[in-house]
Amino acid sequence: MSQSCLDCAQRSDRIFCDLEPEALEEFDGIKSLQTYPRGTVLFREAQTARGVFLLCEGRVRLSVCSESGRRMSLRTATAGEVLGLSAALSGGLYEVTAEVVDQVQVAEVRRKDLLHFLHQHCDVCLQVVNLLSEDLHEAYGRVRAVGLVRTRHPHSYGLHLH
Amino acid sequence: MLSPYGLDIIESCLTCKMRAERLFCDLPTAALQSFESIKYATAYPKGAVLFVEGQAPRGIFVLCKGRVKLSICASDGKTLILKIAEPGEVLGLSAAVSGKTYELTAETIDPCQVNFVKRDDFLRFLKEHSEACFKVAEQLSEKYNVACHEVRSLGLSHSAAEKLAKLLIEWSSRNGESMKQEPRLKLALTHEEIAQMIGTSRETVTRLFADLKKRQILQAKGSTLVIRNKAALRSLATTG
Repeated sequence: MSQSCLDCAQRSDRIFCDLEPEALEEFDGIKSLQTYPRGTVLFREAQTARGVFLLCEGRVRLSVCSESGRRMSLRTATAGEVLGLSAALSGGLYEVTAEVVDQVQVAEVRRKDLLHFLHQHCDVCLQVVNLLSEDLHEAYGRVRAVGLVRTRHPHSYGLHLH
Repeated sequence: MLSPYGLDIIESCLTCKMRAERLFCDLPTAALQSFESIKYATAYPKGAVLFVEGQAPRGIFVLCKGRVKLSICASDGKTLILKIAEPGEVLGLSAAVSGKTYELTAETIDPCQVNFVKRDDFLRFLKEHSEACFKVAEQLSEKYNVACHEVRSLGLSHSAAEKLAKLLIEWSSRNGESMKQEPRLKLALTHEEIAQMIGTSRETVTRLFADLKKRQILQAKGSTLVIRNKAALRSLATTG
């Protein structure tokens, strides 16, 4: 896997990563590349958002948890996705927990740097709006699956409780 | 001046007094002027459907006055209310941006003023005004937060009692009553609508309210509910 976004061969296939040269160079300067083993929790729900995690390689499980500790898997994020985006933008708390399924490489960007970057690059901000719309579309699909199924058994709508 | 449905219509965003308090509307002058030229101010009566889930997106609806019920519906007719949108909120946003069909149905529950913007005009507006684009990102983030909250509540609550207790606590915290000894909240929805918010039946909601009153946890004064025992309601919200 490439250390620099500028040399990344997968860039053009990924919605967020396919940036204009100037924006890409700036993004490369604010990101910090990390590798995490299986089982690492990138962020936990209800934790103050400190930034976003662009998934370069590997998979991450997204889940929500009840007060009593029951956990429900929502979906598995794959390479090219930006995790923690909505919480980082709103300055709120992460809505979900992100746990590494297999070893991942992520490009981390601190919230402050991300906000500055987006203010400078309207085209990237538009990309982010598109990504958030996709996330929201997916989340509404989950609401439908959880709230409107005939049967009460969670496994019947593809969700997994722990 | 006579206005439709008794609404005091705000004709221009430029002179709107509420603008500064509203997340999306508080735009810089240039963006606001541009928005003003592409929006259509419309008044709707109670019960009007702004858009229906599954419909191709025509544009976005900025809610200026009144409230709008956002719901999803199963093929067997079962309805789930996701949220009651308040003034300042932009409706139909993710569908208009992504070009996918509306995910929800939006129906007015009061007479409403809505500023409608056609999809093409809105996308052009976002490309030209980065501040507006940023505000849209913030609104989408907030909606995502609500959707995750709904998934958690529906999917991980053990009982209807737990969901109702959570809903009442959330409502009381929104109007700044939660710090009071006995928080009050105005019940603006019917038992049927509350049932649709927590994914249960109207009969269950009526039974639960009767039970909460009997146990002195709640007291009804007309359409106002008084939470008499906050600790008991909180305990119900975590244990069901």
